[in-house]
Amino acid sequence: MKGIFSVLVENKDGVLSQIAGLFSRRGFNIDSLAVGETDKHDISSMTIVSTADQRTIDQIEKHLNKKMDVIKVRRLEEAKAVSLEMMLIKVSYTAQTRSSLIELCSVMGAKIMHISAKSIMIEIHNTPDVVGEFLELLKSFGILEVQRTGTISMAKG
Amino acid sequence: MNGAQAMVECLKAEGITRIFGIPGVAIAPFYEALYENPQIEHVLVRQEQAAGHAASGYARITRRPAVCVTSSGPGATNLITALATANADSIPLIAITGQVDSSLLGHDVFQEADMRGATESFVKYSYLVKNVNDIPRVFKEAFHIASTGRMGPVLIDIPCDVQRMELSKAFRYPEEVKIRGYKPSVMGNGQQLTKVIAAINRSKRPLICAGGGVILGNGEEVVRAFCEKNSIPLVSTMMGIGTVAKAHPLYFGMLGNNGKPYANKAVANADLLMIVGARVADRAVPKPEKLERRLTVIHIDIDSAEIGKMLGPTIPLVGDIRHIFDALLEADIHTDTSEWLEELEEFKHTTVDHRVFSDRLVNPMTLVQTLSEKMDDDAVYVADVGQNQLWSADNYVMKNGRFLTTGGMGTMGYSIPAAIGAKMADPERQVVAVCGDGAFQMSMFELATIAVSKAAVKILVLRNEYLGLVREHQEKVYEGHYSGVRLYSYPHFDKLAQAYDMEYFHADSNDTLDAELDRFLACPNAAIMVCDVDSANNTK
Repeated sequence: MKGIFSVLVENKDGVLSQIAGLFSRRGFNIDSLAVGETDKHDISSMTIVSTADQRTIDQIEKHLNKKMDVIKVRRLEEAKAVSLEMMLIKVSYTAQTRSSLIELCSVMGAKIMHISAKSIMIEIHNTPDVVGEFLELLKSFGILEVQRTGTISMAKG
Repeated sequence: MNGAQAMVECLKAEGITRIFGIPGVAIAPFYEALYENPQIEHVLVRQEQAAGHAASGYARITRRPAVCVTSSGPGATNLITALATANADSIPLIAITGQVDSSLLGHDVFQEADMRGATESFVKYSYLVKNVNDIPRVFKEAFHIASTGRMGPVLIDIPCDVQRMELSKAFRYPEEVKIRGYKPSVMGNGQQLTKVIAAINRSKRPLICAGGGVILGNGEEVVRAFCEKNSIPLVSTMMGIGTVAKAHPLYFGMLGNNGKPYANKAVANADLLMIVGARVADRAVPKPEKLERRLTVIHIDIDSAEIGKMLGPTIPLVGDIRHIFDALLEADIHTDTSEWLEELEEFKHTTVDHRVFSDRLVNPMTLVQTLSEKMDDDAVYVADVGQNQLWSADNYVMKNGRFLTTGGMGTMGYSIPAAIGAKMADPERQVVAVCGDGAFQMSMFELATIAVSKAAVKILVLRNEYLGLVREHQEKVYEGHYSGVRLYSYPHFDKLAQAYDMEYFHADSNDTLDAELDRFLACPNAAIMVCDVDSANNTK
């Protein structure tokens, strides 16, 4: 199953490495991890996505809670949360492929951020699934570079 | 007041009167502040790891956090094994390490080691103090974190320049801590407690498994009272030895790979297992998934992350052992265990020990039994690691004393420095370190600390001229291919004792054992006693 954790942590040095260290040491898998400051400068928010069995997901939650610098852990249910991811992707093009590439971007709601003689840089933000699908679709054009932010999630209501 | 002086003031505010350590340039300002404050005694050990183990022994007897101090770089990294050991056994330590000047951090200068990074998985929490004014808060928090919830070591790494810097405001030791991410649950959840009581009442064959957490949480008395009130039998893990006396009619020994067969039989025949303050680690419960399928498991622990780590309990209950057992003691429990107790008694008396011991030299089982019977009722027995530990756990006759060992990490060399710490914590109590000739040599430099401090620590060495437990493993698993395990007859313990002004005793047969143990225990000073044991003797 997929575990989505929204974690508030102290915004101080060493916290990210503590959290990352916890996952590597205990053999927990990280699908994605996104960190940023909240409206309070001394608190950061992390969204951590992990795929594991139920017991491991429970263990992850407990171990996150055990960390001194973790202020709050919320487990989000996919259906009851909004999850988004952003991706920048650079794709090569030729005269023959250019128009179908632009068409695909427009269908997927992706934005073209920069065009050079041989490549196009595209931005997309959407649910992690859609971002993943878009990436698959672009493979046939020739991907030069990919940057993904990782998922950020927030509970509805 | 400078940072170093503030550090000493913090220790004084915490009531610390003795610390264990080794100085170096990066911690020199702190030692200068100590020089001005003779009310804190500094015990100079001979290697930093021993500072950590001595503090561990001290903390376990005083039941309060104990302090160890090192310099930066190699001094600090030497401490890591002791921190890992304390962490595995949940022993509250405050480890203060000097660090290079804050402006040089990260530049790989002389004797710089990233201690926060290096100890990340071996401490409960760590600090790198960059602002001198943070010192009072950091110390207050560190002592709080080390000694509450699931206890453990806390590292405070302090750059040398921060120790020298003047505080910009008057020193004030905080009265309270505010850590928004740390609020250990103490009171057990009421609903869960009701479920626990109902499960006990449904059970015909309940069994408590007491772990080290019972002792760490000062819960021996209340657990004992609960068992006695409701006639509920108990077994213990190695770290839980001491919850009740060995002779207690409700006690059925240590469980696990190295435990009593009748204790394991009790677990196998129970219909309800209450695991209390235990990690359900592999040596105690080799196949937790089997247990989980077969019986009702109640798991009570202060650390919620321990519950469900190895086995998914039917009823988890998080909280402080004393609060929970106080509540359980009040509860209306009316299970009739008389038949179950009879059955357990029968297990105990019909289990045959098939082990055969050599007639040569001293029988290690007899040795541990005789020694512990002869020791004072409240004596402290510190077992090292190896065959000596397993023979000790198996045969130690607990009366009203303490059994200290490192069950989690299994760190060889623990017993001598831990015994020094224990003896200093309670000089009136008899303290005996029991180790093999292998473990002895991992800490034998600490004989100097004993000699200088005149702490009357007794060291009993089981000498079989092998790293015995590895030898045993090689005998059973690797067809007797003894590889790298032979110690030969060194050192000459009599000469070593003489070199450190210690008394020396020796037994090389069961016939001479008794009288020699009497002399050894009666000796008012620090002493070494060597018991020769046949290397053919195994633990299983």
